[in-house]
Amino acid sequence: MEKSFVLAKSDFQKFLQRLSTFGAVHAPVRVSDQSFAYKPVDLEKEIAFEALRTILPPKKFLYPQREALFSYDESGIVSEPQINEPLVIFGSHPCDLAGMKVLDYIFTAPPGDSLYIERRKHILIVGLSCLPDKYCFCESMGTDSVDDGYDVFLTDIDDHFFVEVATPKAAELLSDNDFLIPASEPYKQAFKDFWHDRKALFTNRFETSNLPALLDLEADNPVWEELGNRCLSCGNCTFVCPTCYCFDIVDIAQLNGKGQREREWDSCQFTDFAKVAGNNNFRPGPIDRLKFWYRHKLHGFQDAYQLPTCVGCGRCTVSCPAEIDDIVGVVVRLEGSRQRDSIYAKEEKN
Amino acid sequence: MPTVKMTKTIPTISVYSLTGCAGELLVILENLNKMLPYVRILSFPFAQSTNDDGPVDIAFIEGSVSNPHDLERLVSIRRRCKMLVALGNCAVWGCVQKGACSRFDAEQMRNQVYGEQSTIEVMPASRVEDHVKVDVKLSGCPIDSTQLLAVTASLLKDHLPYIPQKPVCLECKLKENPCILIEQNLPCLGPVTATGCGALCPSVGAPCYGCWGPSEEPQMEAMAQVLLEKGYRLNEVLTRLQAFGAPTELFSRLTSSQALVNPPDRSN
Amino acid sequence: MSEDNHLFRFTVESNAFANCMPGQFLEVWIPGVGECPISVCSDSADGIIELCVHRIGRVTDALFKMEEGDWLGLRGPYGHGYPVDEMEGRNVILIAGGLGIAPIRALLQYILNRRERFGELIVVYGMRHSLDLLFRHEMKDLYRRSDLRLFIGAEEINGPEVPPIHTQLGRVTDMLRLAQLDASYCAAICGPPVMYPFVVNELKLKGLTEQKTFLSLERHMKCAIGKCGHCFVGGVYTCQAGPVFSLADLRFVPEVVECANC
Repeated sequence: MEKSFVLAKSDFQKFLQRLSTFGAVHAPVRVSDQSFAYKPVDLEKEIAFEALRTILPPKKFLYPQREALFSYDESGIVSEPQINEPLVIFGSHPCDLAGMKVLDYIFTAPPGDSLYIERRKHILIVGLSCLPDKYCFCESMGTDSVDDGYDVFLTDIDDHFFVEVATPKAAELLSDNDFLIPASEPYKQAFKDFWHDRKALFTNRFETSNLPALLDLEADNPVWEELGNRCLSCGNCTFVCPTCYCFDIVDIAQLNGKGQREREWDSCQFTDFAKVAGNNNFRPGPIDRLKFWYRHKLHGFQDAYQLPTCVGCGRCTVSCPAEIDDIVGVVVRLEGSRQRDSIYAKEEKN
Repeated sequence: MPTVKMTKTIPTISVYSLTGCAGELLVILENLNKMLPYVRILSFPFAQSTNDDGPVDIAFIEGSVSNPHDLERLVSIRRRCKMLVALGNCAVWGCVQKGACSRFDAEQMRNQVYGEQSTIEVMPASRVEDHVKVDVKLSGCPIDSTQLLAVTASLLKDHLPYIPQKPVCLECKLKENPCILIEQNLPCLGPVTATGCGALCPSVGAPCYGCWGPSEEPQMEAMAQVLLEKGYRLNEVLTRLQAFGAPTELFSRLTSSQALVNPPDRSN
Repeated sequence: MSEDNHLFRFTVESNAFANCMPGQFLEVWIPGVGECPISVCSDSADGIIELCVHRIGRVTDALFKMEEGDWLGLRGPYGHGYPVDEMEGRNVILIAGGLGIAPIRALLQYILNRRERFGELIVVYGMRHSLDLLFRHEMKDLYRRSDLRLFIGAEEINGPEVPPIHTQLGRVTDMLRLAQLDASYCAAICGPPVMYPFVVNELKLKGLTEQKTFLSLERHMKCAIGKCGHCFVGGVYTCQAGPVFSLADLRFVPEVVECANC
């Protein structure tokens, strides 16, 4: 089978219908003036193609907000078969695809997380191209385009989508149809032009070389105290982050002796996150916790999984009620340079 | 209703109310069929006419201590119970009668409501733990059924229950609600309020009023700063933050407005 | 043992914990309450594993209240323990503060079971109050051995408890000064975070190298498989990379308060 096709936008509903034969299609839907969320969709018109970032990233499908690990009763653990309905995630942009790759890496690293691995098998990912707004800085993080991590990828070229089919799973799903046409030369050129021109549209960026060194050097920079004092410890930055994966595990006990052990997203910004027995807290204040989070996101290569976990989606920036998660702004301040001004100046000249 | 086996081994509970809206009692009533196979009710004046006010394993107490009679009863209950559970914001934090009304004189309020000749005895509202030892504090306004049952299940096994004090933002974000504090500039107290309600208000577009009481180590100053920058006046902010009985020591630096940075000019 | 500390002995039918090493930990789960990490307190042998537990939180409290016939969950062992292979053939000093005696006891048993493979052995055990002394009878026996030197110190001494045991007034660091150790020793330490900087500085004065100084970090290891994030410190998961680290390795882990100023 060919790998590159074009799909006329007028045929999109047919494409959507075909996707739905794999499983329920979830796509960005508008939920308020400013916000979008992944919801189940049947019709093309329900989808917000203009959505840049949903409130929660698609990680919620791979790693749900709350899930049962197992049940127990008075005699012991009662295992229940995990039922995973097949699912299509439609409309994930490169930053989110990169985020899901990070989660894949972390949850499959030995010892793998069996719930995650099993659920992941039933998910088909359809990526979608986008154009950056003033909060996007994926280009700086190197996640503005991805070479894998999706089953199908659509690039918006005027009245067509350029369709890349990347996996056998997707090829099988999309075989025998009347809406995908093998991509001819002009479309291939339009595809290349789109990604070339898109590079120039990023306005929010910083210098990423020496980022780990920078964070080590500036561990005592006054910026942490300034931002930490504004921090609400609400955890929003972590829930909306495509790569934040921390969880809490709790027992939900019932009166009849039965119960369930569940895990739920947790946040390193919460007071009790690093507490140990006897109430000794290794990160007692918001300053410690905020600095920890920034470091974990940006430091990267010396860390547990040897990868930086910021994908530049800008969700934390727009989701922080205290406006302290302007990652680009903070890094530029740490760099102590007029770099941002000089980048802007260059653009204005151009 | 299932039949209750009256054996000695079934733990006993009593449910009492001090000054409150009885919301907690309704939640217990709603869950009675789930609880009754495992506990025997000795006293529950709100729900039954014949009550045994003798020694009891677990006493659930709702409401704040707002008059001398409340205090008298509370002390007597404490003497008779093995475990005392403060239920709901009133009992745990003092609710509006402590938070919002603390600015007024109790006697003056009594006179305005009941008239100068009133013989009702009043005192400034206070929390249950201000007077007696409390074993478990389960806040809510009203309390959450699942938490009530889980806490009861723990107590029946002689376990200390787990009652998280994470902020409302946790449940709100997990439900993927648009943030009304950010998008609509509403004075939502989700970041500093303990959750358990399922982010009920923000889920329908209403700002969190803080009715479950403060979260663990709430960042009150940062919260006030955010609201001031949105154009709310300090007085209004303080009133909101304190309305549901959050202890005044959480605001010690806030009440001297010097601590707050002047909000930047947002006109451009 | 004292009222709030108890040695729990578990007989394990499978050989799941047969290869358990000193310094590793298990997750103890009590249904309806939760889980907590507890370090192994014995050299694993004969399918018996011992955990010394201090009653301090919800889970440990529930453990103390368990009755015959109740069941609980154990999983593990997790993490990296003390590097016994590296310590073989060398002089060894074991340093425990307070409840830190639990994993140190496991290491001590390991060494005593293979005594000929190790050089000279010093055990230093410090505590706040002499009444806090754990394993009193075992300590009594240790004093009688000629193949190790034992120093027990308490900041406050009341007594006598039975059996009476020679306890000196002073902190762990004071005991270290008495111990006459030299650069030939390698050290295994476990104690509260506040203890480490003092101990580490004292060991440095004696010439012990950072590569041969091993300490165990206390963090809240919830999942123990490097996923949940709670024990993340600097750039590593305590549950996987630790809980035992060499001081040299910790130099490259920021955020470790245990050796921040030494």
